[in-house]
Amino acid sequence: MANTRDIRIRIKGVKNTRQITRAMQMVATSKMKKAQDSARSGRPYAMLLADIIGTIADEFEEVTQSYFIERPVKHRGILVVSTDKGLCGGLNGNLFRELSKIDKSAKFVSIGKRASQYLSRTRRDLLADFSVPDKPSFADIRNIVEFMLRSYDEGRIDTIEVVYTSFINTLRQEPELIRLFPLNDLDSMVEKLHSRFQSDSSPYPKDNREILIENKDVVLAELATLYLKQEIFQLILESQASEHSARMVAMKSATDNAGSLIDDLTLQYNRARQAAITQEILEISAASFSQ
Amino acid sequence: MPIILEIVTPDSVVFSEEVEHVVVPTVNGKIDLLQRHIPIIDRIMPGDIKIKSKKEEKILAVGSGFVESYGNKVSIITDQAMDVSNEDEQVIDEAVARAKASLEEGKKSNMDQAQIELLEAAARFEMAKKIARKKSG
Repeated sequence: MANTRDIRIRIKGVKNTRQITRAMQMVATSKMKKAQDSARSGRPYAMLLADIIGTIADEFEEVTQSYFIERPVKHRGILVVSTDKGLCGGLNGNLFRELSKIDKSAKFVSIGKRASQYLSRTRRDLLADFSVPDKPSFADIRNIVEFMLRSYDEGRIDTIEVVYTSFINTLRQEPELIRLFPLNDLDSMVEKLHSRFQSDSSPYPKDNREILIENKDVVLAELATLYLKQEIFQLILESQASEHSARMVAMKSATDNAGSLIDDLTLQYNRARQAAITQEILEISAASFSQ
Repeated sequence: MPIILEIVTPDSVVFSEEVEHVVVPTVNGKIDLLQRHIPIIDRIMPGDIKIKSKKEEKILAVGSGFVESYGNKVSIITDQAMDVSNEDEQVIDEAVARAKASLEEGKKSNMDQAQIELLEAAARFEMAKKIARKKSG
């Protein structure tokens, strides 16, 4: 009976698949731990930077540096942080749902193959696409930040915003849109940062003394650039933590599904085998009776 | 009254202690920050930071970044910071030579300006390590 052989081959195939998904789950787990650690270790830096910018915000009512002034928005500039690889559940799908809400005049810059594919498929205005390695360093994202800043300086885009997947916990990741430039509402920015990192440390109390800053415009521009760089870096790290945990969960359920499929198939196989044996015995005994 | 000094890089909090005073290399020259210093924000250059606390004197090498002094708190954010007192002098010398060589190479081979700047920063940081190492004896 060919049936048992077919089932045996299928069981083998499913077992192989389970092995692969289990390996991917392990890899994602270890990568997720690393990504979470590096996302966490960047936080004190981000907080301190935000606090310094916050100090300046308190100090100067009128900041004339162009990064701090809102201008009429013709084209929003949106950086989309997606993944290069698939097999991570609904992560990219959720991200793209967020993108579809954005109006057509916006211009996009993408990180990761998935986003650039989606954007060209939906005929959005894609300025550039980048890719970042796993465990990126500050130097790896330098190009991206410089490109965004240049576009902003040249007036091709009037805001710098980031759509990324924020990491809430291993089972929950949610797409989120954050506006980085212009820095025209610094107080709420600092506040948001504190709530995002769930830090209970309040910023260092400031009285209203005058601050000595030499070359104010240069310092402000450099601080703003550093802030942009730091934030984009941090958001990429967080997206990667999300990606790996989403993949881990997806692969875990794939492994579990493969396991239950194997159980079902084994049951079927045994049943078919038993049926074949019974059939044979019947035939033999029928043959001996007839003699 | 001591001041609180905090040195933070993207990777970690390098230093967070109470100190007596600290000398920081800014683009406008070295400044010595003691308690009750006027509030100040400035850019820092790659160089050596001298930290003096009650027990000891410490010298760190830092890259570029910012320093903020407000009240009795001094915060330094920088791309890299390193305690070099335990580093081997020869290793540092070699690193300086390597950084300089790759900078020269980059200039010759028409590299991207941004890349050259990066190499320059690296070379300066290596030099800062060397100076800091010498000073810490």
